[in-house]
Amino acid sequence: MSNLTGMWTLAQREISRFLRVWQQTIIPPIITSTLFILIFGYSLGSRIKMVGGIGYLEFIIPGLLMMGVIMSAYMNTSSSLFISKFQKNIQEVLVSPLAYWQVIAALTLAAVLRALLVGIGILIVSFLFANLVVGNIFILLYFIIMVSIIFAFAGIATALWATSFDKMNVFATFLITPLTYLGGVFFSVQMLPPMWQNFAKFNPILYMVDGFRYGFIGTSDVNIWYSVILVFLLVVGFGALCVHLFKIGYKLRD
Amino acid sequence: MGAITIKNLKKIYPKIEALKGISLSIQKGEFFGLLGPNGAGKTTTIHILTGLANKTSGDVMLFGKDIEEDYKEARALIGLVPQEFNFDQFEKVYNILYFASGYFGISSNLRKVRIEKVLRELGLWEKKDMKAITLSGGMKRKLMIARALIHQPKILILDEPTAGVDVETRKSIWKFIRKLNQEGVTILLTTHYLEEAEELCERIAIINHGEIITLDSKNNLLKLLEGERLCLTLKEEIKIPANLKKYNVVLNGKIMTIALDSKKDHWETVLADIQGLPIEKMETQKNKLEDVFIHLTNE
Repeated sequence: MSNLTGMWTLAQREISRFLRVWQQTIIPPIITSTLFILIFGYSLGSRIKMVGGIGYLEFIIPGLLMMGVIMSAYMNTSSSLFISKFQKNIQEVLVSPLAYWQVIAALTLAAVLRALLVGIGILIVSFLFANLVVGNIFILLYFIIMVSIIFAFAGIATALWATSFDKMNVFATFLITPLTYLGGVFFSVQMLPPMWQNFAKFNPILYMVDGFRYGFIGTSDVNIWYSVILVFLLVVGFGALCVHLFKIGYKLRD
Repeated sequence: MGAITIKNLKKIYPKIEALKGISLSIQKGEFFGLLGPNGAGKTTTIHILTGLANKTSGDVMLFGKDIEEDYKEARALIGLVPQEFNFDQFEKVYNILYFASGYFGISSNLRKVRIEKVLRELGLWEKKDMKAITLSGGMKRKLMIARALIHQPKILILDEPTAGVDVETRKSIWKFIRKLNQEGVTILLTTHYLEEAEELCERIAIINHGEIITLDSKNNLLKLLEGERLCLTLKEEIKIPANLKKYNVVLNGKIMTIALDSKKDHWETVLADIQGLPIEKMETQKNKLEDVFIHLTNE
């Protein structure tokens, strides 16, 4: 039984949920990125030499954009699903004939849309301050969509696992934020000492930021294909994990 | 083919065996009651049927569809009215139904028609634009019934549907679900109000400590405790006289209740035995389901 209407209804609900509070879901990451652009790029950036042949402002913008996308996608699924669990209205979905993958797809679709809106917002602000040139639109779209999907899936897994608001924040605070800041948003990995360069290569967000930056400037710290493949594998891996968790009803069903 | 067929259903939690292998079959169009004290396993059974809990072992089929193998088809057959309010309290009444029916694959146009119909039938149409949180307890119950019916399920499962509602609302809910049953919907009801089960159900299973201790028609269950009770209101408080100790007598202040077994207690003897008591008022009561329930569960 294909229930595409059901899947689209759930996606619609999720989309309306974040659009209803756009001042809380769309605007803050754009403001944060604008501040970063003004402080690091516009103000301090003029004192920093060119990185990899391009201005510092142009260098950090792809990373800032990816930061906004990552957090928006993650926050959308994690907070929505956790609150649904908390208020028990997730039961409306659990008793419905929606396939497990359809539930995940609907939640993810809304998260990707939110991430794209945030990304577009940051991009518009960036064009006001920097001389950005889009090098490869396909690479940009590939990374922005695939990374949104990865973190939407990660948000779903976290919301299923978490049993309290404290636990909900553990991953965002202690894993995603540090890995993002250390993922080459503000610096090129080649600026690091050799030992730290090796450590940095274990950070998957590095590949996401680097790959996305390639879409603008046409060069990357690591081979672009490594990044493309890693991102694809992470989508498959996290997707499989989410479907499995729904199938066994992990912390969803008694 | 039974509407609901449960075979040897077990549910084991880490510290408790909630269901110890229950089996029962509910026929299409039946109004079936599942009764039992708190923690007996009623809600666990319902949650397994509806996909809110995983079974440990056993088989559950809904109109021949396995609840795990064919979970999508099985869930499309069921409408659930859960015990606790589980809708988004900050959402409008109309939207709650609009989204819930969408999950069942109902087209947008058909949804609008059905929502209006069910909200009017339940007297909630005027509240359609209100947020759920602003509704009274009775209206919230009705909203959950509306939500359960919006996809026109073949089986309606009601878990304590009238808990915490006033008498008038309760009666209107009874009338509504009785009508649904007459239209062919199979109904499985759990309730703490035994009066409710007595009023509505054709067959009843009583479950306790995860086991079905009896399953029979309501009439047969009521016959289990044949007899009547004689209720006496006394003018003054007394001790139970020695000649009444052969009966099952409960004395509560000035109220004396004598349970009579129709097979061995004869009215002439009873009336002779109560002569001399300072009786102000006397009445007889037929056994109720509640008595059967207490008798069977020893609660």
